[in-house]
Amino acid sequence: MRGAMRRVAYVLVAVIGVLAVWLTVQQVVAGSRYADDPRNPRARPADDRRGTITTADGVVVAEDIDGVRRYPLGGDYLQVVGYDLQDGAAGLESSRAVDLSPLEEGSITSWLFGVFGGSPEPPQMGLTVVDALQQSALDGLAGRPGAVVAIDPRTGAVLAYASSPSLDPNDLVDGTRSLADLGDDPGSLDRAAFLLLPAGSTFKILVAAAALEAGMTPDTEFEDLPEYLAPGAGLPIGNAGGGSCVAGAGITLREALVVSCNTVFASLAVDLGGEAVVGVTERAGFNTTLPFELGAAISSIPTAAALDADPGALAQTGIGERDLRVTPLQMAVIVAGIGNGGVMMKPYVVEVVSTGDGSTIDATGAARWGRVVSPEIASELASMMADVVADGTGRAARRDDVIVAGKTGTAEGGGGPHAWFIGFAPADDPTIAIAVVVQGGGSGGAVAAPIAAGVFEAWFGIRNP
Amino acid sequence: MTARTESAFLAAAALVAGGGTAVVTVAAGEGVTIDAPIAVLAFLMAFGGVLAAVRVWAPRGTRFLLPPVALLAALGSVEIFRIDRDLGRLQRLWLLVAAGVAVITLGLLRTRGTVVLRRFRYLFLAGALILLLLPLLPSGLPLGGATVNGSRLWVQLEVGRRTLSFQPGEGAKVLLVVFFASYLAERRHALAALPRRLGPVALPEPRQLLPILLAFGLSSGVLVYEGDLGASILLFGVFVVMLYAATERPFYLAAGGALVAGGAWAASRAFGRVAVRVEAWLHPFEHYTGSGYQVAQGVFALGDAGLLGTGLGSGSPYLIPAAATDFVFVAIVEETGLAGGFAVLAAFGFLLTVGVGIALRAGGAFRSLLAMGLSITLALQTVLIVGGVLRLLPLTGVTLPFVSYGGSSLLANFAIVALLEQISHEERA
Repeated sequence: MRGAMRRVAYVLVAVIGVLAVWLTVQQVVAGSRYADDPRNPRARPADDRRGTITTADGVVVAEDIDGVRRYPLGGDYLQVVGYDLQDGAAGLESSRAVDLSPLEEGSITSWLFGVFGGSPEPPQMGLTVVDALQQSALDGLAGRPGAVVAIDPRTGAVLAYASSPSLDPNDLVDGTRSLADLGDDPGSLDRAAFLLLPAGSTFKILVAAAALEAGMTPDTEFEDLPEYLAPGAGLPIGNAGGGSCVAGAGITLREALVVSCNTVFASLAVDLGGEAVVGVTERAGFNTTLPFELGAAISSIPTAAALDADPGALAQTGIGERDLRVTPLQMAVIVAGIGNGGVMMKPYVVEVVSTGDGSTIDATGAARWGRVVSPEIASELASMMADVVADGTGRAARRDDVIVAGKTGTAEGGGGPHAWFIGFAPADDPTIAIAVVVQGGGSGGAVAAPIAAGVFEAWFGIRNP
Repeated sequence: MTARTESAFLAAAALVAGGGTAVVTVAAGEGVTIDAPIAVLAFLMAFGGVLAAVRVWAPRGTRFLLPPVALLAALGSVEIFRIDRDLGRLQRLWLLVAAGVAVITLGLLRTRGTVVLRRFRYLFLAGALILLLLPLLPSGLPLGGATVNGSRLWVQLEVGRRTLSFQPGEGAKVLLVVFFASYLAERRHALAALPRRLGPVALPEPRQLLPILLAFGLSSGVLVYEGDLGASILLFGVFVVMLYAATERPFYLAAGGALVAGGAWAASRAFGRVAVRVEAWLHPFEHYTGSGYQVAQGVFALGDAGLLGTGLGSGSPYLIPAAATDFVFVAIVEETGLAGGFAVLAAFGFLLTVGVGIALRAGGAFRSLLAMGLSITLALQTVLIVGGVLRLLPLTGVTLPFVSYGGSSLLANFAIVALLEQISHEERA
């Protein structure tokens, strides 16, 4: 009995020794890795004044009032601006904390301020987001789960970045809610950049691009099948509403896109092969990290080899289903790229950081991210997408004053289909591109396209008063 | 150690409590307040009382036990006072009550010794079970259960207009160790016989496995019905280690380990609570705005500590949820640094060796197993909570003995101190 007791005692004393070593290790790790973590309340600078954040149309979305950080528009900008709390920060309040803070004590400039009197004011920040568009997007979503991202195709400036539902960061500031129990709140998810959904029929634009790259034209004709069964697949793919897509014998690529004909694009994907479909999709930024200040989930498509080995999966991928996953932000960047002659720009949300008296400290410029398609194919896609809105599934986004190009999508989802609309306007030289999704919202043409129409209305209302 | 040295150490602990309290109030810009002398007085009364009882009723008891306990209680009470003044004052009150419990325990056992406890072992078992079941009483009765942080561990007693809350599981812990010790002392030869063989593994008679399975069932019941992962692991761990100590058969350690591993796997699948704890343990920063928040705040506090800490009253330990209870070790480290953390761990290591020393020298299997069981209860509890807050283990909500805020915990642990002193006294009788 005594032998066993001694052994237990030795082991337990050794374990306490291990705890002592582990304490040392943890202190070193915590001290080096988390000392400057924006969530670390102990890392906050002594001067915690922060500058005002304003939208492109001059609406204040974050400001210090009596030493307390306030967000006048509540949850409308949660996913862009974030929040700045003692025990954690998010969004630009986190990534731009240094930009928004007054000059550090001890710097030469702050010493000069000290000599000449006064203390430096914290810098101001101007967003690319236009509040009129943001409000229109949020009105359109009307609290339903989903997101709207609008981008200036020429620069990559984000014009609207709406995620619904949201939550009011002022509640966190006031302490009515705490970070510790925010965990599962649906409002804390950034649906614009982190919601991964099947693209549904909006993906047909990229399949059409692959077809054009393979030498086809918008007028290339296909068989108008009521059902398509890929080699080796279990279930055939049918069309919305059943039957074939148009009256008459054949159907052109243009017509197939206009009415969103599933059988044509499913068979087209199989005929083009995995290499062609995955090639254009990866050029569109799938399977890579999107360079975006606020971070973004990676949109993904399986490998060409995997799809070629399973034609049934390739056929479903051709209509944006199966394992294909994309974020609304990614879709907006792609459709903006097509509108911009095939060149995708890096999306950005901060236009300028300036001092209190207006001199610029830091400005974000337009930067190229990559080319999706050639200028010729981009213009052919734009013309076909214009037809989609003129007299196809996207009619709800049509305008009298400008030609809108677009594509709807109705993607399979557990709680009902996800409604998609992506597009840009004016079709020949766009100033705005948009991606809209409403989770479980229903049909893209009926639910998502009208939200895009509202944002277009706000945009062209500003531009052509 | 002479009697004078022991008294000197206890007086030093009282000065640590008073001096620490003074540092805290001075750091807060309040100067030295009445709290400092009150702290000294409370410690002198509490430990003076226990010391007097030991000297009168168990004069041959060890002199090495009270000093580390007093040091731990002093460090704990200062840090608790620093985190929350009211809790600190309450803790001083609990310390006096706990000392009273130790004195009463020593008084009750003074003539007939610890052996008398064997006679009541089934009474203790029944008492422990009743105590464990008490929190399941419907709330709203004059004596009713209460759920705190998803665990139903508390009992609230309505006394007039006030509500007294306590965790009966802390008392059950001590009663169960007494029962285990008495049961194992009697049955250890039967349990040690491994007459069956399965290949190279020697196995006991199947019916001898019944006790370990019953203990496992009891622990699982505590987890399932009260959601208390910490107490569940502690009870079973203490039983298995005592079983091993009594029989010298590593088979029981292996069997117990297998049951814990299987149980942990099943619990992480079956109980969302447990799965959440494990996930928060492995990836606290990915769950920052939820289950990982507390652990992450602990990491921030550790990162700020350094070798000597921020200084008492100069850190921000109050930012950690449950800083005065589960995370009191991290709070102490933040403000007193690696040095303070080592001091606490060293005190526990010292306490453990003193306790096991008493077990090794005790006369008879029962006393020996009792001292062993009580010592490893304190040690395992320390390892569980310190390992938990340092992210070596998943976090389980047990208190750090003598240090964490909590009346029930302090009372139970002072009863353990009294029992150890008494066993130590009897060894040379």
